[in-house]
Amino acid sequence: MTNRHKLNYLASFLLFASLGFSRQVLAHGANIVYQQTPAIEVKATYDDGKPMSNAQVVIYAPDNPAIPWLKGKTNEEGKFSFIPQSNISGNWDIKIRQSGHGDIISIPWQTENVASTVESRDNMPNSSNWLASANNNYNPIQKVVMAATGVWGFIGTALFFSRQKSS
Amino acid sequence: MHIPDGFVPPSICIAGYAITGGVTWYSLQQIKKDSNPQKKIPRASLFTAAFFVASLIHIPLPPASIHLVLNGMMGAILGYYSFLAILIGLFFQTVMFQHGGLSTLGINAVIMGIPALFAYHIFHFNNRSNTRKKIWTQVLAFCAGAGSLILSATLFTVIIITNITSELDAQTEINAIYLSLISYVIQAIIEGAFTVMLISFLEQVKPEILRQ
Repeated sequence: MTNRHKLNYLASFLLFASLGFSRQVLAHGANIVYQQTPAIEVKATYDDGKPMSNAQVVIYAPDNPAIPWLKGKTNEEGKFSFIPQSNISGNWDIKIRQSGHGDIISIPWQTENVASTVESRDNMPNSSNWLASANNNYNPIQKVVMAATGVWGFIGTALFFSRQKSS
Repeated sequence: MHIPDGFVPPSICIAGYAITGGVTWYSLQQIKKDSNPQKKIPRASLFTAAFFVASLIHIPLPPASIHLVLNGMMGAILGYYSFLAILIGLFFQTVMFQHGGLSTLGINAVIMGIPALFAYHIFHFNNRSNTRKKIWTQVLAFCAGAGSLILSATLFTVIIITNITSELDAQTEINAIYLSLISYVIQAIIEGAFTVMLISFLEQVKPEILRQ
């Protein structure tokens, strides 16, 4: 076998080898892409402010409120994040529950507003600004005033029924 | 211990309202037997205020915190007025602070109101005469306060466990509920002690309140 034949064999071998293992070689590479997409983050706490950590989360999509769309658990801070399906507009119901306690929140979601949501989020002063609460999130002063008015109503009732009847 | 809206099926909510309606009617019938039914309304109103506010006051009990229910104490002092007082208190807690829910108002009244009537009968056991010993009164006051809360916690647990929906991990939920029972036992002891203190005070200053 001449040197020319040897070179032809070698060239043929390298050609077939490169074709045969080309996919495997390419698979060693990695390609990472990203897109910015709006997500919903919920935070669950007890009345005293303690986070509901490891509570069960059940999410219902607007198009099928009977069957859960996603299930999960809150983290140690009582938070849970998910990305709603972009083509489903309506109210996403989120149930968070632990040992018989919890609540359900309904979050309105419009697909055409996704872009504006991203923009408005950029303008938010910090990420701890929560948009809504399942139960009206009164501050302590408001709660004290509300409790005081309720108590005053009961005291008024007591005073009314304990009044001295005029003869 | 307040069941919120959407956590039990509609059949339980309707049954809760039906039982509450029946017990309310029965309580009113018993109240009508008093010579002056309006006499105890001021007292009932003040205890309703205490019940209403108690749910907002959190007592730290590591690792969690508790709030007093006071249904045993109300039952011991108010008798059949206690169920009505608890029903009204629960309504205001629901509409003002979202503790519980309007659809579950009936079942919540059952959970907290019926044990109050149980406490009433426990405390007034053998109380027709004034010869009952002081220590016996205190023991029954503790049983009324603590036993009422234990009964409420049991009712709550049974209702919740038997109505865990299929989308939840039942075992995780049951484990969490059993864990919370520990705090209910501690809370029962606190409520029992609180009831003993109040009853002892009333024995000193106004004993006629504690007689039937």
